[in-house]
Amino acid sequence: MGMSNLQFLIIILLSPLLQGIIRKMKAYAQGRIGPGVLQPYWDLARLFRKDMVISEAASWIFHATPFIVFLSTMAASLMVPVTTPDAPVLAIGDIVALLYTLALGRFFLVLAGLDAGTAFGGEGSSREATVAILVEPMMMLAIFTAAVAGGSTKLSVISKSMHILDSPAHVLAFAAFFVALIADTGRIPVDNPDTHLELTMIHEGMVLEYSGRYLALLEWAHYMKQMLLFTIAIDLFFPYGIAGGALQSALFYAAKVLVLAAAVAATESSRAKLRFFQLPSLLGGAFVLSLLSLITFVMLGR
Amino acid sequence: MIENEIYRDVAKEDFRAECARLFSGGNGRLRLMFAADLRETGEGFCVYTVFSHAQEDRFEILRLKGIGGEGGKPEFPSITPEVPAAHWYERQIADMFGLVPSGHPDLHPLVLHGLYPPDVYPLRRDISSEAISRHLALENEDLSPFMEVKGEGIYEIPVGPVHAGIIEPGHFRFSAVGETIYYLDARLFYTHKGAEKHFERIGFKEGVKLSERISGVSSFAHSAAYCMALERMSGTALPARASAIRTLLLEMERLYNHIGDIGNMCAGTGFAVGYARGASLKERIMALNHQLTGSRYLRGVNTPGGVLVDALQDPAATLREIEEITEEYKSFISFLTSSVSHVERLENAGVLSRAIALGLGATGIAARASGLNDDLRTSHPHFYYGQLVFETHTRMKGDVFARMMLRADEVGCSIAIIRSILHKANGKRIEGNISDGGEWEAAANSQALGYVEGPRGSVFYFVKSGANGAPLRVKPRAASFCNWPLMPFAVHGNIVPDFPLINKSFNLSYSGSDA
Repeated sequence: MGMSNLQFLIIILLSPLLQGIIRKMKAYAQGRIGPGVLQPYWDLARLFRKDMVISEAASWIFHATPFIVFLSTMAASLMVPVTTPDAPVLAIGDIVALLYTLALGRFFLVLAGLDAGTAFGGEGSSREATVAILVEPMMMLAIFTAAVAGGSTKLSVISKSMHILDSPAHVLAFAAFFVALIADTGRIPVDNPDTHLELTMIHEGMVLEYSGRYLALLEWAHYMKQMLLFTIAIDLFFPYGIAGGALQSALFYAAKVLVLAAAVAATESSRAKLRFFQLPSLLGGAFVLSLLSLITFVMLGR
Repeated sequence: MIENEIYRDVAKEDFRAECARLFSGGNGRLRLMFAADLRETGEGFCVYTVFSHAQEDRFEILRLKGIGGEGGKPEFPSITPEVPAAHWYERQIADMFGLVPSGHPDLHPLVLHGLYPPDVYPLRRDISSEAISRHLALENEDLSPFMEVKGEGIYEIPVGPVHAGIIEPGHFRFSAVGETIYYLDARLFYTHKGAEKHFERIGFKEGVKLSERISGVSSFAHSAAYCMALERMSGTALPARASAIRTLLLEMERLYNHIGDIGNMCAGTGFAVGYARGASLKERIMALNHQLTGSRYLRGVNTPGGVLVDALQDPAATLREIEEITEEYKSFISFLTSSVSHVERLENAGVLSRAIALGLGATGIAARASGLNDDLRTSHPHFYYGQLVFETHTRMKGDVFARMMLRADEVGCSIAIIRSILHKANGKRIEGNISDGGEWEAAANSQALGYVEGPRGSVFYFVKSGANGAPLRVKPRAASFCNWPLMPFAVHGNIVPDFPLINKSFNLSYSGSDA
């Protein structure tokens, strides 16, 4: 049990803090003070103590989904190098396994949205599936560029290359990955994390029927997934500094996460949500970027 | 007699044709239609229609009297086939008085949700408020069905009546194909408060407070229209200074509403920074309202015969604050119009055609953004508007963007009017008392209209007193009552996630419409 085996705890324990920091940044952009950065922890604690209201129409899927989503996200975080280049569980899982572990959670979330039989859940599920179809291939392609450059699909091997966006291919791939990250975390311009306007929700629509402990698990898993995607972006595109001493690599990691958080908050604050049927043009555009990045890599050889 | 109100009784057989004549050619607008229970004066049930002329400052008020007299059936000829704008009014009359508009194409309950037993008609004079509440029973819940759209791939999305966030109640039933809205059926009137009945009970003077509470953000427009009706009914002259203060505050109300609405549209597109800036600017104006009158919603100002608060005491200081608000507003609006992602969402969303707006009697922003030049401030100048020079605005496209930009145009106009009144007051050109001093008394057996152009459109009141000077009938009509029926037309063919945005662009009041 070295540091490397415990580093996944960083994602599990600090992901609510990251959410709090992004919310704080957005609040400042809106001229508000906003809640403290620890608020997501209090929210989770409150939800864990609350009773649940469960639809009579709900089947076992509804009950199983919060656990599947939470555990699959936790399993995925075991495969990611956070502050040392060695992932907590080296033997299993490369980046492909990681993404499809996350997709398992998404699959069940979509089912659970349909399960309670309400209009908003179904609406959210249908939209989530639409977005997922567009996002997944684009994310895979972007990752493949980094994988081909790093010579492996294992994140720990890629992150050992210690580069910072060192080729045009990486720049293009990062741009595509960033769009995928925004879409996958349910942020503007794809989804609005702050709205409960019934008719516009995507992620919030799927989890609308959940309350109490189940909702807490889903929210926490959502925060974890966000931090996980941040970490993957760092491993793939800015691993520089990860192999230093424990303190140094932790500082590098924190700084890189904060920069990405600021980029996400700035994107969310500077524009409105896209009309739903214009999403394919944004996500399709990002797909072209990731394709270009791969072609660029093949042509330039770096 | 009041100069611009022409009252006429018409025979039952001429009623529909006469209404059609006044409405035809786009010259006449149906401003108000209501019934009154005048059995105690021997006139039986009466139905009134109020048409205004587009070019002349004139209201033609037709009355069909003696409905259901001498054991006849309580029905009257529906004018909806000729005057589509009447369709909600007639359903309302059927619910509240039990008078059946014969020939109405879509007659089913509008206001009373089956909570009422079928034979209780709340606005008849021989039933008391207590009796109505005794009759209410949840077992009676038998709501009239929603319009059902049939076909392959059509599914229904029920929304409300309880919504996420602090929104008033209304149930929307969407029939959608995929994400595209095919039809929207709205069930409203969940906040029906029985205001019309209550007006009759509490007397004319107490009614001012009630009128202020019919629609929160149109408090001043409602109380001004109500007081205007009372003043016209009794022949009370309004002092010039009171008239100027009412005009100033009407424009302040328009200002905070329009700016708040422009900001709210940002919530519809998920543009949080725009929303926050709009909200803070609105707050600043409401704080100024508080400073001027002691009420953020401008309540407690109007009284029949004048105003109770002199809002023109320090015009120079108010002017300075208005200048600062103007600067902040200019930077806000240029920020919004240069935000491409926001504007892109507004363009071509929720288009309301001119023909629908005209036929269904749209008012306010909804009408003017669809190319109807309908503004009571110029067509029927009230209060101080006749002494002011200003420009009204219309836009042609009828989409969400047109409604936003029209609000922006009108903010400019409101600021100009406010400035001009403040400058006059500063130059001591609006002097005198703020009320006529005497205690206002209702005239017996008298009637009048009151009207203003409020932030959401025209607000009308009709008041009628009995032999003892007590209210026989008070009919408020909020702007939103005219505009709600437009919604299914504006959303048709749009996608479901755009509905909140389209809805915000109209920003209709539930409370005002439900009364």
